Amino acid sequence: MTRQREEIILRRAVARLRAAVMAVTFGATGGAALFLATAWLLLRGGENVGQHLGLLRNYLPGYSVTWGGAVLGLAYGVVLGGIAGASLAWTYNRIADLRGAATTRG
Amino acid sequence: MVEGVGSEEAQRADGAARQRGGEPAVVIGGGPAGLTAAYELARRGLPAVVYEKDDIVGGISRTVERDGYRFDIGGHRFFTKITEVEALWHELLGDDLIERPRLSRIFYRGKFFDYPLRPVDALLKLGPVEAVRIVLSYLYVRLTPRGEERSFEQWVVNRFGRRLFEVFFESYTEKVWGIPCSEISSDWAAQRIKNLDLMAAIRNALLGSGGGRGGKEKGEIVTTLIDRFQYPRLGPGMMWERCAERCAELGAPTHLRREVVRLRHDGGRVNEVDVRRHDGVDGGEGDGGGEVETIACSSVVSTMPVPGLLRALDPPPPDEVLAAAAKLRFRDFLTVVVVVDREHLFPDNWIYIHAPEVRVGRIQNFKNWSPEMVPDASRTSLGLEYFVQEGDELWSAGDDELGALAARELAWLGLAEEDDVVGHYVVRMPKAYPVYDRDYEQALAVARRHLEGIGNLHPIGRNGQHRYNNQDHSMLTGMLAARNILREAESASGSSATGGAAGPAHDLWAATEDDSYLEAPERGSRSLADRAVPRRLEEDDLAAGDERLEQAIAAAFARYDPVALGGAVGVIAGALVFLLTAVLLLRGDEPLGPNLSLLGHYLIGFQVSWPGALIGALEAALLGFGFGWLLARTINLLVDLAAESVVRECELEGLLDPFDLSRLED
Ligand SMILES: Cc1cc2nc3c(=O)[nH]c(=O)nc-3n(C[C@H](O)[C@H](O)[C@H](O)COP(=O)(O)OP(=O)(O)OC[C@H]3O[C@@H](n4cnc5c(N)ncnc54)[C@H](O)[C@@H]3O)c2cc1C
Repeated sequence: MTRQREEIILRRAVARLRAAVMAVTFGATGGAALFLATAWLLLRGGENVGQHLGLLRNYLPGYSVTWGGAVLGLAYGVVLGGIAGASLAWTYNRIADLRGAATTRG
Repeated sequence: MVEGVGSEEAQRADGAARQRGGEPAVVIGGGPAGLTAAYELARRGLPAVVYEKDDIVGGISRTVERDGYRFDIGGHRFFTKITEVEALWHELLGDDLIERPRLSRIFYRGKFFDYPLRPVDALLKLGPVEAVRIVLSYLYVRLTPRGEERSFEQWVVNRFGRRLFEVFFESYTEKVWGIPCSEISSDWAAQRIKNLDLMAAIRNALLGSGGGRGGKEKGEIVTTLIDRFQYPRLGPGMMWERCAERCAELGAPTHLRREVVRLRHDGGRVNEVDVRRHDGVDGGEGDGGGEVETIACSSVVSTMPVPGLLRALDPPPPDEVLAAAAKLRFRDFLTVVVVVDREHLFPDNWIYIHAPEVRVGRIQNFKNWSPEMVPDASRTSLGLEYFVQEGDELWSAGDDELGALAARELAWLGLAEEDDVVGHYVVRMPKAYPVYDRDYEQALAVARRHLEGIGNLHPIGRNGQHRYNNQDHSMLTGMLAARNILREAESASGSSATGGAAGPAHDLWAATEDDSYLEAPERGSRSLADRAVPRRLEEDDLAAGDERLEQAIAAAFARYDPVALGGAVGVIAGALVFLLTAVLLLRGDEPLGPNLSLLGHYLIGFQVSWPGALIGALEAALLGFGFGWLLARTINLLVDLAAESVVRECELEGLLDPFDLSRLED
């Protein structure tokens, strides 16, 4: 392969996001973040534990700043993070495809 | 050992050749190209005879022996991507072809720098002041690139900055070529890196030199970052001595001290050659020359330099052809081998000497090539290499004078004590390097056109085609020439006497011009039988594994589409704000989301209301877009920098060693 061709291949390559990978990554991060944030408040203790974080129950039914809530939060984090990651990847890839097609036609 | 004309073996072989009928193919030169051609012809039963003007075979790839010390002209690594060449080495050398580790460094200002140059190592060793100068001058040219790149100096400065050029390029390149870098055409630099295998370089950077298909089993991957090589136990000359012996056994003798001085042709074919005996003490051209013998031939394979070949034609070519030939220039080479009474001096196979204060350009440590290159393990033989012009003051200096200079320079460099030098030998090699200057391409085209008019004359090899190549390429042209001769023989006899081994006609010059003829080693070596016409190798040769690896590499260096990432983050962020707000609105609690409305600090006009949800979503989408776009740009910048550093490193590597073709031509 000529160097020129290699350069073209390298420069033209547009990264794609893998929905599954993004879902797992965001899911794992989201779940862990929510679990750790809850656990941290519980371990610190004090009065009125998790006054603000507890507001999440508005969106995540059943969630509270308790050990049970931490586990539930983990599950929510995994699911919602996963959905967010997959959607991000899906949207990115669609836009990149559309733009790629437009460039090739142009 | 190869025998001369008068020997019994040679006479027997000559007789055998004649018995098989027809005039022999005359091979001019017993170097790699000529001997390979002779071997190919002989093993297919065609008569051939080799004339070599020196008293030793191997040409530039010879091994000289003096008092038991063996040394190369330069140092000859054996590496190739051509299956047949590799097979021939193994067939003839068997276990005598050993594998050696490679270490070579640059010696500058009393320090050893890693070669290939590694920026961090170089900057650390040069010290903080020099490091800052190099980095600043690099940044300066990156920020203010110059358009003009006519000279080699401009070309390098544009890429690496002036300071790095001054430190690592200027003095060495000028030593090698003998002219200022500002007078060397930038084409030469571009030529050196034109075949750079970017994928291989990146693969190496990512996976190390064993990465990729085949790994070590398929032999070393021949890449720009090679760190091991093959070498005959007794030096490269061993290969060519063996080859000449085998040729003689098969009926193709090599006659030493025989110089072909004239090729008598009838316009379309060479019918006879005149061979001058040099049986004086020196052998070679210098001994005045002896009687001339005329030999009838069926064809001629020539490895003699193109200008000499054209001058030897009888009748002579037109003046304009001779004038063109006179424009083809060469650089000559001189090795002073000094014997140092020390068991160990340095671990490198060779060292590049950049210091402008000394004339030596490179120093070989032959014992590190093969322990059998020295007769006495307690001593070390070093080859100090000087790039010269035939007739200049170094070339003409006496051997003792050169020995003293070498000892002095070694001491100055701090590599050995002058008093420890106990002996020296000098070897001068004229026409070691065909020069690629501004005129050469045009001049070579004129010469080639003329030579192509003579049907049975096959110019091959390094100087035979004015091609700055390695042994394997010379051997390839030898194999192809032999096949063309076989083909001629087959069609003349109307039979397939040689078993149809010749195959279709090969364009010898195309193998010279089309670099892809030899390209892409690790992607599957090519068989010569496939080489009817030169074609790019990569199209159909990419092994599936490599293709996947390359796709992976391309993916690793792929750029993010900033608009797509911005769009995606924007959509997700907008949707999130809208959803969070909508949930609160639909639940209808009072007061409405006092905490969520704090987002209004960032999203102007945002409230927990339906219009607020829309405004917030829009603003979040815009901010998300900006964030995603910036993220993609930043990642792309970093990927570009990583890719650029790999490319620059390869370019550096290719340029730093102007004579080390393995780094680029492979
Ligand atoms: C310093 C240096 C280092 C190198 N390192 C390597 C390396 O590491 N690996 C590698 O593979 N290659 C290396 N090479 C390249 C290698 O030496 C050449 O590619 C190879 O020797 C070319 O072979 P050839 O047969 O084409 O030509 P040559 O080796 O030049 O052989 C031509 C022969 O023809 C003879 N001849 C010329 N004219 C006549 C005449 N009129 N009559 C009879 N005989 C004649 C000459 O005496 C000579 O023996 C190096 C070269 C140099 C200079």
